[in-house]
Amino acid sequence: MSVHIHVDGRRVPVPEGISLAAALVGSGHWTFRRHAVSGRPRGPFCGMGVCFECELTVDGQPGVRACLAHVRDGMRVETCPPTDPDDPSGGDVLAAAPGAGTTEEGRGV
Amino acid sequence: MSRHTADVVVIGAGILGAAAAHYLSRAGQRVVVFDRGAPNREGSGTTAGNLHIQAIHPSRPGQEVPADNGRFLPLQVAVSDMWESVELELEASVELRRHGGFMIAETPHEYAELRAKQAMEAAAGLPTELLDGDAARAALPLLSRTVVGATWCALDGYANPLKITPAYLASARRHGAQIHGYTPVTGIAATRSGWRVTAGGDTYDAPAVINVAGPWIAQVARLAGIRLRMTPVAIQMHVTPRMPETMRHLVQHIGEGMSVKQVTAGNVLIGGGWPALRLDLDGRSVASVRSAGGNLALAARVLPFLSGVRLLRVWAGPLAATPDELPVIGEVPGAPGFFVAGGTYAFTLAPLWGETLCRLVAGESPRVQVSDLGPDRLLIDTQSDELDLVANQERALEGAVRDSVQQGSTRRKEQA
Amino acid sequence: MSDRDVLIVGGGPAGLSAALSAAQGGLRVALVDEHTELGGQYFKRRHPAVVARHGDFRPAGTRLVTAVRQAGVDCLTGHLVWGVADDGATLLVAGPDGAPHALRARFTVLATGAHERVLPFPGWQLPGVVTAGLALHLATIDRVPVGRRVLLAGTGPFLLPVACALLEVGVRVVGVAEANHPYRLGRHAAASLRYPARLRELAGYLATLVRHRVPVWQDTYVLSASGPDRLRQVTLGGRHAGTVEADVLCVGHGFRPNVELARLLGCETRPDPVVGEPVPVADVVGRTSRPDVYVVGEAAGIAGVHAARARGQAAALDILARTGRAVPPARQRRVHARVRRLARFAALTEALFPPPLHLLDGIPDDTEVCRCEQVSAGEIRATAGLAHNGLNATKGFTRAGMGLCQGRECGTAVACLTRAANPHAPAEAFTARMPVRPVPVTALGVPPRHAAGADRGRPAGGGTPGGEVVR
Repeated sequence: MSVHIHVDGRRVPVPEGISLAAALVGSGHWTFRRHAVSGRPRGPFCGMGVCFECELTVDGQPGVRACLAHVRDGMRVETCPPTDPDDPSGGDVLAAAPGAGTTEEGRGV
Repeated sequence: MSRHTADVVVIGAGILGAAAAHYLSRAGQRVVVFDRGAPNREGSGTTAGNLHIQAIHPSRPGQEVPADNGRFLPLQVAVSDMWESVELELEASVELRRHGGFMIAETPHEYAELRAKQAMEAAAGLPTELLDGDAARAALPLLSRTVVGATWCALDGYANPLKITPAYLASARRHGAQIHGYTPVTGIAATRSGWRVTAGGDTYDAPAVINVAGPWIAQVARLAGIRLRMTPVAIQMHVTPRMPETMRHLVQHIGEGMSVKQVTAGNVLIGGGWPALRLDLDGRSVASVRSAGGNLALAARVLPFLSGVRLLRVWAGPLAATPDELPVIGEVPGAPGFFVAGGTYAFTLAPLWGETLCRLVAGESPRVQVSDLGPDRLLIDTQSDELDLVANQERALEGAVRDSVQQGSTRRKEQA
Repeated sequence: MSDRDVLIVGGGPAGLSAALSAAQGGLRVALVDEHTELGGQYFKRRHPAVVARHGDFRPAGTRLVTAVRQAGVDCLTGHLVWGVADDGATLLVAGPDGAPHALRARFTVLATGAHERVLPFPGWQLPGVVTAGLALHLATIDRVPVGRRVLLAGTGPFLLPVACALLEVGVRVVGVAEANHPYRLGRHAAASLRYPARLRELAGYLATLVRHRVPVWQDTYVLSASGPDRLRQVTLGGRHAGTVEADVLCVGHGFRPNVELARLLGCETRPDPVVGEPVPVADVVGRTSRPDVYVVGEAAGIAGVHAARARGQAAALDILARTGRAVPPARQRRVHARVRRLARFAALTEALFPPPLHLLDGIPDDTEVCRCEQVSAGEIRATAGLAHNGLNATKGFTRAGMGLCQGRECGTAVACLTRAANPHAPAEAFTARMPVRPVPVTALGVPPRHAAGADRGRPAGGGTPGGEVVR
């Protein structure tokens, strides 16, 4: 019995009832996120909710540990934050934040 | 036991001791610094790292005597420029950020306070701007509808408390200062030409001693037979995990204890001087869950995005407060060569206090007038009843000093 | 809330056993676990859809969980105990929706389990390098092979059942690199003859590996893992040095007890003799220095599932006796004897499979030790070697241990590197701080966002922060 999840917009069939980490790894997805400091890819590590390496965004909610979540039909999963093609940092999450750096310019004294 | 000489003995390797050691050693003085533990592990390393340039919020939650924030202003104005050059001077990054800060009001009464504060700042030559609620939100859309006004100061900022003290110490070391961690001072005696400090089983003769021991100031002074009235407290900080850059400013509250900022690494630090559960001068102070809830709820009321974040860590640290909530800096009357510095906002004022101590030791006048901030006002009259009032507190603290001495001697034995 | 007799934190083998015995003895028991299902790691349960396809896994766990529920235990799954208040009389809990709860009971039993220890090596942060535990869960609970060509490395008897479980789901296990040399005749092997059941189990695993031609390389350890964006190659050092192509490396160097709650409650700890990390001081029934707090299972020291169940039972019987219930002394004696016997076996295992801490001396300076904050071994060595910095000062200066895992993944390594760089540093562990895991601020009573605006009768303002916000 399969369900379908959407990984970064792509529809992926996965076995019902398995963990999201298993679903992603089983379908060949190993980069779950990019590190906030270096932007290097990170995948699941401890498998028991301790290391927080497998955090990703599920149905719009960030910070979901894939090793603790189960797949659900129609689940939408975002692995790396969307990368601006013009962004030389290659998807550094700090550079991709909405509202960043919008308020201090021109505040005179 | 061996005997050493120095020009200045600094007791306490927090930010004040480190800054003083930097200025003194750069001026050619032979400096020896002692700390009962690792450098920068107490108040200086557990503080929020705010650079408060606009006038301070006069009361922490639970603070009995409000601070005279007007007295701080000339100090803040003077130190602002010093922070600007600190990274160049120390040849190190301390994650200095001068992105400005808001102090917000949520009630008409608080807004009136902001107006008065802004007038006071203008008179002191500190440029700040008074904004109504909509203007404040236009400048910082993260602010909630509860905000009715704010003062803006472009000079407010942040420096990483975990970097600035080590950077000062590294500079002092480059200029020849000796830094001794885990070496509590066990004796201070007046000599004909100055002071003899006993630490780590050795003695150090020096014409000048600087007591910047933070919450242990009174205990260290007592080793020299000086009775000082200090009122150390423990306050706590709260931090979120790293987040994408969301906020570049320091946000404070004029009426309640709140400071919020996002640091270079991306974590949001939420503080405001809320009291910890327990001041523990022997171990680590214990954070209060009630304070955490109060501080976080207030921060989330002013900055609603904070109601959706996670709390990563809470920690508590000591604050070397004085009974009148003003800084203390200067030579102890009747004890020539024995200097004390401490009090609240020591982090912001550290560059100024380091330089001031250096000048006072050399007999020069500091860049700002501090004669009214001397330790004379904190001296305990040994003839009065006041001694009894502080006796309990001191007994508890003596235990802490004794234990640290024992720990120190055990460690020395292990090293030997 | 204080009408409960016993509050048990952790729904693994120890917590379940304690809950069952206590409830069957007539006590009012609540069992709290942060996960959505009871069972812990050892008795982790398959989703019903997976059970329908592949049958149950470890039915003993299913039976135990069922018995606990039937015994009337109040099972609070999805509830994370993140802190303590009122001098430890109250446990602070985050509900599944992040709502704040406070729990009190006459006795608290900490059955908080353990997590897998991995000693860092260059490349351990690459996707495709996982703990042995992760690979085991995928193979057994989800029936998903973690990779195609898989290498296991580290130390401990745990690597063998993991290798067998991987074989069962069709993984090509290219080898098991064991840093120690436990599989030989000798003093310890002779001692292990006293535990025939455990020995049979181990022999069974080894036989399976032989049948599948999986080599077990003793005295062999990982020097580095490499690959562009995920693992391609592992370089081994030691007796069977060489390079191995693999798409997944499963690694584990034993387990670390989860002791944060015990430390926050002020229970006395002692440094464990091998690594020097704090473990709670507890007697045979799990009594700590606090008369109202017990610690059982792996949280009291790594000893395996059988010991965990026995310790849980021993604690429950002790509480029953202390609360005036009739407990046959012979039954208590039997359980105590079992706890002691299994503790001796655990000591034997520990002696055979010590974590190879000496490997940390050899990791290059650019090895990423703190995964969360990306702090290198070189930074830690340089900082720890300066100005008498101890472990916590090194944490402060480098940020090592300050990330989301709160130092659980790097703690052993940072402590060892600090000690090596500065032999005079005082013996320390990372300070135990609240929350024991990151929690939504709503768990501290902060109103959720929609309520925050509603309280004031106005819509909540603000911009659009990214990332961390839980919407």
